[in-house]
Amino acid sequence: MARIVAGMGSPHAPAVGAAVDRRDEESAYWKPLFDGYKPMRAWLEREKPDVIILFTNDHFTSFFLDVIPTFAIAVADRHEIADEGWGKRDLPEVPGHTELAWHLSKTLVDDGFDLAVCHRLPLDHGSLSPLSALMPHVQAWPVRVIPILVNVLHFPIPSAARCFELGRAMRRAVASFEDDLKVVALGTGGLSHQLTGERFGLIDPAWDAEFLDRLETDPRSLARLSHRELIERGGTESVEMIMWLCMRGTLSERVRRAHRNYYHATLTGYGQVIFEDLENVPR
Amino acid sequence: MHARPRLFGRAYYAGPGDGRAWPYNFRKTLLKQSERDFANPIPGSYLLTVSLAQQAYRLSAFCRGLMLPANRAAFKADEMRCLRDAGLSDAEIEMVRARDWLTMVRYGVNHFLVFRLAGVAGDNLAAAGARMRGETLEQFASTRRVWEER
Repeated sequence: MARIVAGMGSPHAPAVGAAVDRRDEESAYWKPLFDGYKPMRAWLEREKPDVIILFTNDHFTSFFLDVIPTFAIAVADRHEIADEGWGKRDLPEVPGHTELAWHLSKTLVDDGFDLAVCHRLPLDHGSLSPLSALMPHVQAWPVRVIPILVNVLHFPIPSAARCFELGRAMRRAVASFEDDLKVVALGTGGLSHQLTGERFGLIDPAWDAEFLDRLETDPRSLARLSHRELIERGGTESVEMIMWLCMRGTLSERVRRAHRNYYHATLTGYGQVIFEDLENVPR
Repeated sequence: MHARPRLFGRAYYAGPGDGRAWPYNFRKTLLKQSERDFANPIPGSYLLTVSLAQQAYRLSAFCRGLMLPANRAAFKADEMRCLRDAGLSDAEIEMVRARDWLTMVRYGVNHFLVFRLAGVAGDNLAAAGARMRGETLEQFASTRRVWEER
């Protein structure tokens, strides 16, 4: 049977991917972030997961106003690299896992989560920034990836509670797959940040620290937060912290924090974590 | 082997003179006060909601069309012609001409679409943000804990 052995959290800002491409990891500006990726890279190299379930969002790249799925799953065998308007990044196409994606979509729909199914969904920075920072400069990706897209841009967006429950349902769905696969859930997105309006640039490191604490030990209390509360504390774009709750939902109550890092950058609070699942111990 | 199309979704601005880019002609949107309140939950913060997005559909599609290199080149070569060809209203054209990103967001264009236009117009993310705050880039930089020149 397949099992989720750990959850990871990572920012997905375009600037992170651009820094990877420029090999700018040691500059004074970027070192505090990329030092935080080193233990995550080592963990992935040591544990060699078969599949990453990637909770992220599209940024009006592959989706437009014509169709806005609340939740979507990318089921392709190979995910294309999108050109978002600044040129296509020089990255290999990302392998998917169609058989598992079929099982997940079928099981999740049966379980009450009606995901939109996408056979073709070119990936933008929401997926590629974290993947390239975790596995930099690869000729071929060492892991298969199933992106789960969450609408966080156009209201109505799903509640924090619903995202956490999607994670719970994902855990059950993965566990009922017949093949023996080692799976990691990856939650992505900035912590506190706001990219519009007169409040542009808002960051609250104290709130980000509290969020990471509670994510580890009391995620259900975060799942009770309204969008309004998230926005007041962390800015409009921080609603994407609900994708970290998707990740946390895939894990059991008891997790071991194997890594945590935080960097207060120019426009966004960047968090990084590894939570190992104590009921599905990797080794 | 046939070439794969480069953009997804059917309604986008495909370039100057493109007559098929606009399948819909949305009525003038009248926002209920409840939606207005939701979209502006606290001062200085704006959310994208259904009626706003619909009101700004054409301008949004125009911004998304800038994912195509040819459209970026056309915009740089003759901005006014592009804006007229895209069927934008006078008010929408004025927002673009004035580089008024804040008004565009409040009008109903998602910021990731605004940033594609801002990029072509020469404003990176920080510059676009400074403009939304009503500050110069230097003033905005002075409020930051760390800063990267790009």
